[in-house]
Amino acid sequence: MEENRFALQMRDITVEFPGVLANDHVTIDCKKGEVLGLLGENGAGKTTLMNVLYGLYQPTSGKILLDGVERQIKSPSDAIQNGIGMVHQHFKLVDTLSVIENVILGMPSKDQRLNIEPAKKRFLQLCEEYELYVDPDELVWRLPVGKQQWVEILKALYRDCNVLVLDEPTAVLTPSESDQLCCAIRHIIEKNRSVVFISHKLREVMEITDRVTVIRDGKYIGTIDTKDATQIKLAEMMVGRPVTIERKDRPVFTDKKPVLVMENVSANDDRGIPALKDLSLTVHAGEIVGVAGVDGNGQRELAECIAGLRKMTAGEISIQGKPVTGVIADPSFLGFIPEDRQKTGLVMDFSIADNLIIKEHHDEPYANKGVLNYKTIKSHAREMIKKYHVKTPSEDVKVQHLSGGNQQKVVIARELDAKPVLDIAAHPTRGLDLGAVANVHDILLAERNRGAAVLFISAELQEVMALSDRIIVLFSGEIMGELEGETADQTIIGQMMLGQPLEVQQ
Amino acid sequence: MKKRNSVQFLRSPLVEDLTASLGRTILGIVMGLITGGILIALSGVNPLVAYGALLRGAFGSSDGISNVLVRASPLLLGGIGVALGIKSGVWNIGMEGYMYLGAIGAAIVGVMPLNLPAAIHILLCFVFASAFAAVWGLIPGYLKAYKGVNEVTATIMMSYIAIYLTNWVVSSLPLVAEEGVFYPMSKKFESSALLPILMKGSSLHPGPFIGIILCLVFYFILNYTSFGFRTKMLGSNPHAARYAGADSKKQIMLIIMIGAIIGGLSGAVEVMGLKRRVYMEFVTGVGYESVAVALLAGGNPIGVILAALFFAALKAGGATMSIETGVSSSMNSIIIALCMIFVIGVGVADGRRVRKADTEKSQDEDVGAKEGN
Repeated sequence: MEENRFALQMRDITVEFPGVLANDHVTIDCKKGEVLGLLGENGAGKTTLMNVLYGLYQPTSGKILLDGVERQIKSPSDAIQNGIGMVHQHFKLVDTLSVIENVILGMPSKDQRLNIEPAKKRFLQLCEEYELYVDPDELVWRLPVGKQQWVEILKALYRDCNVLVLDEPTAVLTPSESDQLCCAIRHIIEKNRSVVFISHKLREVMEITDRVTVIRDGKYIGTIDTKDATQIKLAEMMVGRPVTIERKDRPVFTDKKPVLVMENVSANDDRGIPALKDLSLTVHAGEIVGVAGVDGNGQRELAECIAGLRKMTAGEISIQGKPVTGVIADPSFLGFIPEDRQKTGLVMDFSIADNLIIKEHHDEPYANKGVLNYKTIKSHAREMIKKYHVKTPSEDVKVQHLSGGNQQKVVIARELDAKPVLDIAAHPTRGLDLGAVANVHDILLAERNRGAAVLFISAELQEVMALSDRIIVLFSGEIMGELEGETADQTIIGQMMLGQPLEVQQ
Repeated sequence: MKKRNSVQFLRSPLVEDLTASLGRTILGIVMGLITGGILIALSGVNPLVAYGALLRGAFGSSDGISNVLVRASPLLLGGIGVALGIKSGVWNIGMEGYMYLGAIGAAIVGVMPLNLPAAIHILLCFVFASAFAAVWGLIPGYLKAYKGVNEVTATIMMSYIAIYLTNWVVSSLPLVAEEGVFYPMSKKFESSALLPILMKGSSLHPGPFIGIILCLVFYFILNYTSFGFRTKMLGSNPHAARYAGADSKKQIMLIIMIGAIIGGLSGAVEVMGLKRRVYMEFVTGVGYESVAVALLAGGNPIGVILAALFFAALKAGGATMSIETGVSSSMNSIIIALCMIFVIGVGVADGRRVRKADTEKSQDEDVGAKEGN
């Protein structure tokens, strides 16, 4: 009998949720010993497809073949038994257990006693084989996210998976960790195992995969060999139109008034550990200052200090000469797009109309002597929905029913429509698809051109470089240096992001 | 034109709220009644006969109805006080304590021969009741809002203190405590401080109607005022409330105090309308039943009206049921408890179903929103 070349085939998978066709006859084939990229915008149905493979959803139609044999996968344990390993975007680890305990958790065993030593031995062997080094005795919560991902991968390998699915693995990794991941993936395919690599980042897909399958709006678009693909071609397949983040021309302002002035600001993070160290920064009217840096180096604390949501331990912040002393919730003064729109920026079970006025719910014209004026609130909402192109049947829809991009539009409409003197945009494009990203960029540029001071925080270097007039790089709560946006060099910024101050480099 | 109006009426938040929560609640109650019926059958009584007696006892006569309303009075007031807390994410469940403090406040001015016109004397009692309860509520309110003390523990403990404080007041506080009686009680309220009886030959006082009006008032406050907006925002997402500039701490303290004031009024109405004296332990468990009322209502003020009347009907009719059919008198408590469990159970199950449908729909979007962390 001829040996089957395909480790995994999913044929004509259709998944229907009430009112939504999440997957519409999607087909993927993954050969043995290859890395198949699964590429698509957010919401295109990549994760749904993989959840079908992992037995979390049952497809409405279509079939799954493993090693050429049709299989019914009804639950994750079926999937594991059939040699499928999955690393979810949100790790499924028990924080308070050690690495090795997590690895053997749920494995069937004949012995009633817990016998960790042989498991540890095999685990260390795997670490060696795949060059992913993790201390098996360390508690998981003490590990950085990157290492936690290694644990997830090793856990799947420990179970001897033939097909390993990685769902947006690089989202949480630093550049050097991403390189390590690439290396591990190569080791995995050397052993004739297969990897399905889910991403919406073109560069990585080009680097790592052998073939790429693109899906868009739940539909199968096509599969091409990576060596024949270009980033532009893949982007076109993904969005159906050519997209690049390009630096746009902008008017130059000569008269530059300082708006945001921060002097020697220090602040702690939630755990009480210093997160901002003696930081000074000035943002002028009519400029975008981009804050680059690996996420978690003080960006969140920086934004919160300016908005008055976090107490400073030292230093002073003033906006247009007014010192920041408490929470600023006046969108005509400060527009603040917080980094976590679902947790901070929106009340998920409030309607769109209500969310648009959470900062002004006691002010005219939305309230009169403490009584809400729903006529004005709703007509305001309808106006905003039209102006900011929020896709929704009505202003009474709860924001939790909107897509991420439309939720962000609601936040932007609330924060920026009143023409604030200072905009803080913390990761405003995170999790948005390319079309929505371009939209946010245009809005921020328009804000700058209107004369607002804009502080733009992002972990995506490309967009910081495309959008900013000046770029500062944060590392461990300190500014590593400042560059002109127009002439900034990506490698220099990359070095600064890893902790090398600009002066040292020059 | 007329048709359009009716459609608009159906879309109003009042109706939408009710239809959404009412379906679950009714299903839960029906399941509770069926299970209760099985238990009644097990004890050898035809459940249809028993429930018939229950209904007749509650609604079969004007006496029955007035009895239901009188029993509903403290549940309505207590229920709305707890419901307000639920909406803001605070478990303000010390209603029993607030009722005692309100009763003490009312008694201090109520038993005095002040020779005031009835309206003013009654008003004075209410003011004292509110003030006493407000101070009592201020303590857990402050501790919760500014010191992070768990409000469940604090309010329950305050209730115990209130009970013993009342015992002391009615047994030995000069001018208030009645002397030479076998059971600790206060002096009788002056007749000018008593609430009028609305129906001759019954004990129907204005309490239940005050309760219903307050429920409607708080329905309006929650849905149509900035204060209510802030309250709901705090309950739904405290992070967003802070970000939106709301003073969450002040709001939490205010909500607990308002709940306390309503609880105090509830206690005052009870002694001024029904008991005419403050007795030692004159309320037992009503404060906790009002927590159940608020839960059954899902924190919705209109739901509180329905839930309180439902509880009161079961309690009033249950007495008739046990007298007429010989079903144990504890059966009505069992039925109430069964209804509660099923309503909450149906709520959880349905919530899970709705949430599942939601997550499935927005699965990819959610995942997208988190990426890059």
